[in-house]
Amino acid sequence: MADVPVLEVSGLSVDYVLDRGNVRAVDDVSFSVDRGEFLGIVGESGCGKSTLLFAVAQLLAPPAMVAAGTVAFDGTNLVGMTDRQLSAIRWRDMSVVMQSAMNALNPVKTIGAQFKDAMRAHGKFTGEEIATRSAEVLRMVGIDPVHLRSYSHQLSGGMRQRAMIAMAMLFTPDLIIMDEPTSALDVVAQRSLMVQIKELQLAYGFAVIFVTHDMSLISHFSDQLMVMYAGQVDELGATRTIFDHPLHPYTQGLLEAFPSIRGPHVPLRGIPGNPPDLAHVPEGCRFHPRCPYAVEKCTQVAPDLYPLEGALVRCLRRHDGSLDG
Amino acid sequence: MTSADAGLPAPHPAELLRTEHLTRHFKIGGTLSRRILHAVDDVSFSINEREIVALAGESGSGKSTIARVLARIYKPTSGEVYFEGKPLSRIGSRRDALRYSGLVPMVFQDPFASINPVFRVQHGVLRSLKLHRPELSAAQRLTEAARVFEIVGLNADMLQRFPYELSGGQRQRVGFAQALAMRPKLILADEPVSMLDVSIRIGLLNLMAKLRDEEGVSILYITHDIASARYVADRLIVMYAGQIAETGPIEDVLTHPRHPYTQLLLSAVPDPRAPLSVAAETDRGEPPRVIDPAPGCRFRWRCPLAIDTCAQVTPTLAELRPGHDAACHVAQTSSEEVKAFS
Repeated sequence: MADVPVLEVSGLSVDYVLDRGNVRAVDDVSFSVDRGEFLGIVGESGCGKSTLLFAVAQLLAPPAMVAAGTVAFDGTNLVGMTDRQLSAIRWRDMSVVMQSAMNALNPVKTIGAQFKDAMRAHGKFTGEEIATRSAEVLRMVGIDPVHLRSYSHQLSGGMRQRAMIAMAMLFTPDLIIMDEPTSALDVVAQRSLMVQIKELQLAYGFAVIFVTHDMSLISHFSDQLMVMYAGQVDELGATRTIFDHPLHPYTQGLLEAFPSIRGPHVPLRGIPGNPPDLAHVPEGCRFHPRCPYAVEKCTQVAPDLYPLEGALVRCLRRHDGSLDG
Repeated sequence: MTSADAGLPAPHPAELLRTEHLTRHFKIGGTLSRRILHAVDDVSFSINEREIVALAGESGSGKSTIARVLARIYKPTSGEVYFEGKPLSRIGSRRDALRYSGLVPMVFQDPFASINPVFRVQHGVLRSLKLHRPELSAAQRLTEAARVFEIVGLNADMLQRFPYELSGGQRQRVGFAQALAMRPKLILADEPVSMLDVSIRIGLLNLMAKLRDEEGVSILYITHDIASARYVADRLIVMYAGQIAETGPIEDVLTHPRHPYTQLLLSAVPDPRAPLSVAAETDRGEPPRVIDPAPGCRFRWRCPLAIDTCAQVTPTLAELRPGHDAACHVAQTSSEEVKAFS
């Protein structure tokens, strides 16, 4: 089993079933995560990245539903499993840290009581085992175990976020899914949390899927990077390669949209226009209305995800070699 | 003005707004509580004409409180704010208050909450025009609304749209258009781009620079994003726990940060172009105590350079480089560059 990826997603599509017709939020997404690997997923609001996470964790609620594809976790397809079957896997083998983790803790229960609930829900443990394990995971994330008796409002934002990560590690899962866990923190706390996640990952060997809209945040932490645009994967490859040599014009645009605190002062343009409404995606390449390199065929032909220079890129002009640099 | 038109910096830029020992405390807890939260403590700074000043700091550092005092939402506990040389505490009549809020409007963080969803976008712009520029006729108001929309990069036909039809970036441009309609001298922009997508942010930052360069408006740009501050601002004020830690021309502060907190802040900025240094620092980023703070430097618990003096005497700002002040005992006593985090 050692060479089976922790997670293998293939051909996954998610639809929102609405009165005015179905909206495809995630369109034919495939990727895999190896043991102990850190995958970063980057995209703007409305690109389907959170929906994708929910689909992977099988947390979709109507009107959203998986329309096609499989999510294989440790070799088993999760799509179509009952809640009962899923609950054997959830939290024990795969846990989720949500974007609103700041508010995801129960305000009227102590941290320790919430850890106890999580452990009781997924196994039979004695009070002593629970207390030992709870203290242990809090220590792992650098919080003094006295805070097991604290309520969430007594902790700072960074500590709450750490407590959530501690809770996600109660059973030493194979995979932790994180949806923008640092977006509510300021830079110093954000940086220290990222360093901590990476250290824990190296020490305990779990895989991480980290979703963010801030590409620069994960540049030093993720092994693989997946860039999403309008529900599709635009570029997928090794993080360093993509940062050093982005192939898709959208990825290039995202990278050039960050001012730097060092180096010469250069005027930046960002990416003109706005991401499309998923209910009305443009014909041809979905990025063409905002793309500085778009030619006529980009408006007509929908590009595939082409393998190129060790990465996967959804760009017609890269594929036919008419776009260099 | 003439020297600015000629492309030269004015030798003595005209001061627009100045705060002197500005302090704002909040009483917290129940009626019997005597605990005081020191949101802003003894803060003095100035903003000149045609200048973007970035006010940076972590959450809870008091930067939004300053904006609210400047917008006259809060009254200062002590200290004074002078606008064009006149103290804000002397504003008494409704007419003066209206005039001031037109000259110093605010642009809010959340463009999804700051525009009334049941009216067309033009409603807010026309209303502020009617209120602040009563001399205009209805037709002139429409022309003026179209003009400010043009300036912020929106089509005039956007005026007829409803907010839900606009993207986040467009809504935030509407926020700037509303502010601009009042012919402001200084716009208070509280985290105006932090809720927007990365690809949209630069456009708004470019707009802020354009308002300064072409419309002659000053902007107080409140942010926790130092990189975006560097992109648009002329000067930087770094706040820590309600006090100014360091201030000066932004390039000088960023290349020669003297306060250990500024250094920490800079080391935490994610920079894909920088080499990897995962094990660089262990700072947990815990917020400082600002409830009934004891004397001494508020950063000392996190500061690797703290000396005995730091626990006893509250440091005050002193000029360490031309126009560049820091409130740090260690930086002030050592003549060389102090580097705590790198």
